[in-house]
Amino acid sequence: MAECCGKNKAKAPGESCGCEKKETVLLYACSGGANVAEVADQAARQLTSQGSGSMFCLAGIGAGIPGMIQTARDADVNLVIDGCPMDCGKKVFDKAGLTNYVQIKVTDLGIEKVKVARATEEQVATVVAKAKDVLAAGR
Amino acid sequence: MKTLQILGTGCPKCKKLAENAEAAAKAMGIEYAIEKISDLKEIMKFGIMITPALVVDGEVKVVGKVPDAEAIKAMLR
Repeated sequence: MAECCGKNKAKAPGESCGCEKKETVLLYACSGGANVAEVADQAARQLTSQGSGSMFCLAGIGAGIPGMIQTARDADVNLVIDGCPMDCGKKVFDKAGLTNYVQIKVTDLGIEKVKVARATEEQVATVVAKAKDVLAAGR
Repeated sequence: MKTLQILGTGCPKCKKLAENAEAAAKAMGIEYAIEKISDLKEIMKFGIMITPALVVDGEVKVVGKVPDAEAIKAMLR
């Protein structure tokens, strides 16, 4: 859970906390069963662990959980990593009435959708690099 | 009577959000009750993963931001 500034709890009351200026970047990955979904998922997790953003719940947006939709609405950046041209993640956002997102698609990056194959490190790295480019361009 | 819930762990941002929410309610002259929720499990029940957040009468109004009192007034109407 991304607390606002738990690490600064020990500071004096009223003292400004460093997290105030931090941009909220939320990452959503395709949750399908094919390899491209695994690539999207692994890329989102890697981006999260590298500090590029925080992976968030695409299913929660799809389910219409109000707190999650409001979280997405208030985020500075929502990056949807779709697996294939079905654009499910994008459609979930559109259906929820959320327009403040950018989308990348695994199959647009030269990665073929194959039902039985597993994600490779190289594929994940390709998506991570693209996501970083997109996030950097938006700033 | 409006119920204002401030979701957060007690950091300066959370306190500022509570101050602004109270200021907005007072400026509007509405009856209100304010509740501060700092337990992460309780916060997550709202579907919220980023704090602070403001909930008005059970409806999540803002997440991860600290709007000023003027902006909060619009959320209380």
